[in-house]
Amino acid sequence: MRNGRIRVEGEVEYRFTHPDDFREHVRDRKGRSPVPKLVPAKEAVAAFVADGDYIVYDFSSLTRGPQSLIREVIRQRKKELWIGAEFTLHESPLLVGAGCATRIDVGFLGYGNYIGQAVCDGRVKAYEWTNGGLALRLLAGARGVPFLPTRDLLGSDNMDVSAAKTITDPYTGDPVCLVPALNPDVAFLHVHQADVFGNARIFGTNLFALEAALSSFRVIVSAEEIVESDEFRKDPMRTTVPYFLVDAVVHAPFGAYPGAMPARYEIDLEHVDRLNAIRTDEQMGKYLEENIYSVPDHEEFLDRRVGAKRMRELRRRATIVEGYR
Amino acid sequence: MPRTVEFTDTEFMIAQGARLIEDGKTIFVGWGIPQVVAMLAQKLYVPNVTQLFEFGAIGPQSVLPFVRGTMGGPQNTYRSLQWLNMNWAFSYSATGYMDYGMLGALQVDPYGNINSTHLGGTFAKPDRRFAGSGGGNQVASHCWKTIIVIKHEGRRFVPKVDFLTSPGYLDGPGAREKAGLPRGTGPHRVVTSKALFGFDEETRKMVLLSILRGLSVEEVVKDMAFRPLLAREIGEIPPPTDDELRVLREEIDPARFIIRGEKMSATT
Repeated sequence: MRNGRIRVEGEVEYRFTHPDDFREHVRDRKGRSPVPKLVPAKEAVAAFVADGDYIVYDFSSLTRGPQSLIREVIRQRKKELWIGAEFTLHESPLLVGAGCATRIDVGFLGYGNYIGQAVCDGRVKAYEWTNGGLALRLLAGARGVPFLPTRDLLGSDNMDVSAAKTITDPYTGDPVCLVPALNPDVAFLHVHQADVFGNARIFGTNLFALEAALSSFRVIVSAEEIVESDEFRKDPMRTTVPYFLVDAVVHAPFGAYPGAMPARYEIDLEHVDRLNAIRTDEQMGKYLEENIYSVPDHEEFLDRRVGAKRMRELRRRATIVEGYR
Repeated sequence: MPRTVEFTDTEFMIAQGARLIEDGKTIFVGWGIPQVVAMLAQKLYVPNVTQLFEFGAIGPQSVLPFVRGTMGGPQNTYRSLQWLNMNWAFSYSATGYMDYGMLGALQVDPYGNINSTHLGGTFAKPDRRFAGSGGGNQVASHCWKTIIVIKHEGRRFVPKVDFLTSPGYLDGPGAREKAGLPRGTGPHRVVTSKALFGFDEETRKMVLLSILRGLSVEEVVKDMAFRPLLAREIGEIPPPTDDELRVLREEIDPARFIIRGEKMSATT
């Protein structure tokens, strides 16, 4: 069920959901019962990501990003996706290069010439909300309000290429910027630990993990490690997202690869350099074929394209553990 | 004894940027070169500066060397005071707790307006497209004093930016306040690979304050696409010190991935 609407003002399209429509979705479609939700990535993406969906993810392709889920979306050749590109580095070139994404709310457009050229060529539409603006839109979605005010974006050209509005603040009489709530269709979170019901823990900083989980119609968690539920009750301060927000849990060791998973494994800079070097469709096609289309799933990708030796080495390099438990 | 030192334009830019950061203050650090400036400053000059990153690292003490391109990795969140997320990170700047912000830029105009979105063409059909604001718009909107770090290339200094991504003084005195931006904020310094600029109190236009030792004013302003105001006395900036170069080359960026650039020299 997709209650999100695309609204258009002038030239600017934006995703918007009436808070009551979202509440009804939560009432009618989000289960409260703690049932096991552990499924393979293939099933989770097939069941919970549809063509035309708006997706967000936390964190980035270099750090704790849900890269195995992004690759699965590409493998399933989803179409017409709209991405909320916050801390987006390689996700946007890959999703656009694979023909999956056609609209990007920026954020940060992404690394490299490929994605910049795709915007110049008109293959993907970009809207400028800025990182703070997108995070605030998700907070509005998460707080169940239609918008939130902010004292940035004002005076900048981003105002003209987003659906942010300037109004007179009824309290101060000053101009203030409003951004509309964002309720994405799907949020992907890659976490350190989850249980089978969807309770999930991130160690370290995040972009908007809880906001995205609260505001999104569907939430897929991929976890490095599946732990017992009692772990969460022993240390509730460390719970990032409680189970009833989550629709599917995927066990994905090395799910952030080629990025780093803090305190688990380091970034594979050689692989990242290969991503950074992609400039042409031919190079993109070659990368996608080799790393995504030609392998049936994440496990085989790790086995056949990364290899046990490389993974051991990346684990060995993850020497910073302080703060991550 | 004065002697000649050799360095790259990037090394000079980073070193003079690092000297501007005040100890005991807070600074909101943008992606890329500003991260390196902050690392050098913290290592050599300002052990008690509190850095803040938009992804929610409050007061990190980054591990060297710098892992190129990363922001939010375990190296640049190391030994933080607090780990949060983006909405909370911008709360620290929005409430006035951030003394400084430091940002890179593609283009800058006389009022310190920053473009990091596109060059040429129109927004819908740009000639060249770049990453866009990231959190730069919030940093430039909220922080009391924004420092812009930019390579001294004439084409980057334009009378009007192709896209106004992050606000400087917009179109002049009072414009920020009129737009609704927080009172008393705005660009403070522009750190380049040849010179240092500030902003005139009255006109809010960019003023050349000082230049790298050995360069002439003409050499600095000749290829800028606008003529900056000139300070009554133009100061002289010493070249990178041995310590600055050693930390940059041996500790922060041993692969010379970031600090490479055009070769320069000056006398100590």
